[in-house]
Parts: sequence; structure tokens; C-alpha cells
Amino acid sequence: MSFRKRLNDKLVTWKLSGGAKQTLADILERGGRNLMVVIGVSIIVLMVALALLAPVLPIASPTELNPDVTAHYRPPSLQHLFGTDEVGRDVFSRVLWGARVSLSVGTLAVLFSMTIGVVLGLTAGYFGGKVDYLIAGTIDLFWTFPAFLLALAFAAALGASLTNVILAISISYWAGFARLIRGQALTVRERLYVEASRALGAKNSRIMFTHILPNCLAPLIVWASIGVADAITIESSLSFLGVGTQPPTPSWGYMLQRGINSLEEAPWIATFPGVAMLFTILGFNLLGDGLRDVLDPRMKGLRR
Amino acid sequence: MADLVSYVIRKILLAIPVVILATLIVFLMVYLTGDPIVALAPPHAGPEKLQELRVKYGFDQPVFVQYGIFLWDLIHGDLGESVGRATLNLQVGSLIAQKLPRTLELMAIGLTISYSIGIPLGILSALRQNSITDRSVMVFTLVAYAMPSFWLGILFMILFVVRLGWLPAEGTVGGFASIILPALTLGVGNAALTTRMMRSSMLEVIRQDYITQLRSRGLPEREIIFKHALKNAILPVITVIGLDIGWFVAGAVVVETVFSWPGIGMLMTRAIANSDFPLVRGCVLILAIFVILGNLMADIFYAYVDPRVRLG
Repeated sequence: MSFRKRLNDKLVTWKLSGGAKQTLADILERGGRNLMVVIGVSIIVLMVALALLAPVLPIASPTELNPDVTAHYRPPSLQHLFGTDEVGRDVFSRVLWGARVSLSVGTLAVLFSMTIGVVLGLTAGYFGGKVDYLIAGTIDLFWTFPAFLLALAFAAALGASLTNVILAISISYWAGFARLIRGQALTVRERLYVEASRALGAKNSRIMFTHILPNCLAPLIVWASIGVADAITIESSLSFLGVGTQPPTPSWGYMLQRGINSLEEAPWIATFPGVAMLFTILGFNLLGDGLRDVLDPRMKGLRR
Repeated sequence: MADLVSYVIRKILLAIPVVILATLIVFLMVYLTGDPIVALAPPHAGPEKLQELRVKYGFDQPVFVQYGIFLWDLIHGDLGESVGRATLNLQVGSLIAQKLPRTLELMAIGLTISYSIGIPLGILSALRQNSITDRSVMVFTLVAYAMPSFWLGILFMILFVVRLGWLPAEGTVGGFASIILPALTLGVGNAALTTRMMRSSMLEVIRQDYITQLRSRGLPEREIIFKHALKNAILPVITVIGLDIGWFVAGAVVVETVFSWPGIGMLMTRAIANSDFPLVRGCVLILAIFVILGNLMADIFYAYVDPRVRLG
């Protein structure tokens, strides 16, 4: 956690070189030259493709139980690439369908928490004063606690379901985004060009969304990528504890929780979803870390 | 020293509203799903029964009165009574007090493992920057960091329990042997962070002028690193131990469940499964207070070693 917090601190104080905005094209071009980014993106593309293709690939149903007891606990074979589980379901198919759950929870949760964070962070940083005092206090409170712990408490209170998991992660994770945007807004609002556009009669909302927000694009993308990794970790941990995605929806965390009972006879039930989960999280972490390395101007020639 | 004392007092005062807000959130959580009594009551309970329970648990009062009572009881160390089947009517406070030492034990050993792996590995990696050793260490930290703790725990189980048969899988049996796996799981996950921090801190220090100056004086490299650089490089790593507590608290909830380790984490997941809201409340609150104390500790420790912080 402390590492994430330090990374966020670095992103908050991320000053852009020469005041130049880093556009999306910039980010893509420089990112493409970094090995970590390339590996990360490849993993993400692979997982997303598999997740999207799951319904059209010629694989067994992820939820259909097999009444034939001899089809239970089958080791990996040509017919069942990753074997079958305790009720005869195809583990390969469940891993792919599980990717759909993990990736959509990860993306949606980050999208929602980014929206909350951007709105609150912009408001606090741009207007300052009492508004800032109130919002900054709330940000600090949510920032103090590990997002997983908050999400667990919210998920427990809301009741276990896919929507509630997304909701629980969103309301636990936004503080990182808010800090980022608030920090940037505090610096950018003092710039001459902001004053100039105010003098020209630009509305507050226009200044916020055309001057301040685009300046935060690069750190925002870095944090979002890491956020997806975190959200997937939280979702699978919640599902593992039984307060996340509910069966029959295939979820990696839940599959691992079932697999733990048969580690001796059928280790493949836990192993394959675990490996898929690790790869996906690793992919998003690599993308985030790599982008930070190439985009942060202070990191030039001083790779750490 | 006076400025340090006033800094510490200021930080403690600032922590109080955080604790109060935490109690408010924990209190309000019960209302997220609507009427908390419905979840509590036996199925098919009639309206009279519901009303009876509502009065019994104080839900008939206005919400702010309820919060006042909750806070008042809390100040007096009363966290309410459990409503779970196995622990019905037992004091939440004593249930937590019973389990707390086991969690602390687990966290202490995990922390020791984390730092005894992370610090040497980070130093090694920094001193051989960009070598194969450095690259492998970085790959280790990336993977260990990406690994959700329950999956790491399961892998350790497959390796040490199923394949090698060295250790028991359950937390309740086997004394010291049973703490090794859960503590190792927590420790290795956190070691990834410690390693990276130690590495970047060491890299920062050995680039500084005074190190170059020592080199130019011809001091042996070993002496430069261990006598001069290490002292400064290790400080920022040690001072944030407090922040790690948040990580360990969150990790403990999951790891305890994987290994059936009878601590707060397992108490909490059981309480969630039983919809035992007073117990869930108590667990969340106690873990939250731990996190706040950890942050406070890090702040104070940091100000102690770096006077610039307390003056700024």
C-alpha cells in the first residue's frame, strides 16, 4: 500500500515539462518504445480478446453441470484443456468467462471512481477555500484506508452481487484520482493562461475541462491502468471471501475458493484461474509502471 | 524538541476527526441495504416480531439518536452484542479481544519476514543496477506485487503442504508450524514493496555528492555502502513501517481465511457470512483504528528523523 501511496504522491506533483500538454498521440508514441508497456499491452490485448471471444469460441458452457460423476475432477486433456471441476464444468471455459467478469468489473469500477474523483478533485482544487477544505478532508479519510478493506465493508453492507461489487470498489477507490486531479488543479489554476482565459470571460467549467483536465491526462492514464489491476485484485478477493460475484457467474476468485478444497486431487481447478488472474493484474501493472517511466519528465535518464 | 512535541500533538488532534468519521461510516453502513432489521429477523417474521426486534436493537429511535448511543457505548468500550448464531449475545468487544493477539502475532512475523527479505534484496538490486541480478529482483517484485494474497497462499499450500508435506494447512493445529505459511504469504507479498522502496532509496543516496567524495578519497566500496550510504538509505524505508500496517490489515483478512487462522480477519469474514452486523461493525472499526494508528506512527517517526517535516 505504501508503495501505491508514494506512486500517487509522485503523480500528484507531476509537473509537465515546459508546460507542454501530453496528448494521447504523445503518450501512445512514447509508450510504444518501452518494453514494460509493450508486454503489458500484449497481455491486456490477449486477455480482452479471449474474454470477448468467449461466447463464440467452440468451448463448453461455463455453467452447465454434468450429472455424470465420471466427468468430474477430470485432469487437463484435449477435450478439456484445463480439466473439469467438482461438478464437471469445463475449467478452460470458466476461466475465459471469468475474464469477462474481472475485466468488466475492473474497467467499470475504475471508470466510476475516476468520474467521482475527477469531479470532486477539480471542484476542490479549482475553487479552493471552504469547498476545498471539506472535500480534501473527505479525500484524506478515504485515502487513509486500504481500498480493499473499505470495499469489503461496503460489499458486506450492500449484499453480494456483481453490481454491488462494482459500486463498493468505486466508492472505495476514487480518492486516488481525486488527489491527483486536485493537486494538478491547484497548480494549473495559478498559471497565466488560466488567468488570461478568465479575463476573456471563460466560464469556470470551461477552464476546468479545457485547461486543467487535459493537463492531467498522462498521470490519469497511469493511475487508471494501475487502478484496473487493483480493482481486479479487490473483486477476486471479495469473490474469494464470498461477498463478491455470486455463482453461477464464473469468477476467478470464487473458482479459487472452490478449488482450495481439492488441491491434492485436482490442483488444476485452482491453478488455471489463478494464473489467468495473475497475468491480467500483471499486465495492467506493467502498463501503468511503464507509462510512468516514459511519461514522467523527471524520470528521463534516471530510470528507477 | 519542542517543535516535535507540538507536531505530534497536532497530528494526534488531526487524527481525531478521522476516527469520528470512521465511526460514522461504520455506523451508517448498516443502513445501506435499507431496513437492517429485515436481515436480522428470522424469515417469515410478522410485523410484531419485526417491531419487537427494532425496539430491542434500538432501531426505533431517530438515526442521530442511534448514532449518539453508538458513540456513547463506544467510548465506554461497549461495541454491542453479537447477533450471529454461534456467538449469540456474546460481547463483540470480548470476541475481538480474544482474536486480536493472533492477528497481531501474524502481522509481526509477516512484517519481520517482509523486511528481512526486502532490505537485503533492495540493496543488492541497487548496487548492481541494470545487471541480471537487478532485473531478476525486479521481475520478482512485479510478480509478487501483482499476486493477490489468497492466490499466493494457495500456491504455498500446493508447494509446502501438498507436494512437500512439510507443514500443516490449517491454522488451528500445530503451534508454531501453522503460523509459518500465513506469515510467509503476508511477508512475501509485502517484501515486494519493501524491496522496491529500498532499491530506489539506495539508488538515490549513492548518487549524492558525499558518496562520490568518499569514493574519491579511496574508501573501500564496502565501507562506503554499509557505513555511510545505508544509514541514510534505510531511513525512509523504516519510517513507513506504519503505512504497511494498512497493507497487513487488509492482507490479514484474506490470508487468515485461506489458512483458517483464528484472528480478526476470519472473525470478520464469518461475521459477514452470518450477517452479524454488530460484529462486522466492531471488526471494521478496530481494523480502521489500526490503520489510523499506523499512519500516525509513520507521520511521527518521519518527523522525528527529518526535522524539515515538522517545521514545514
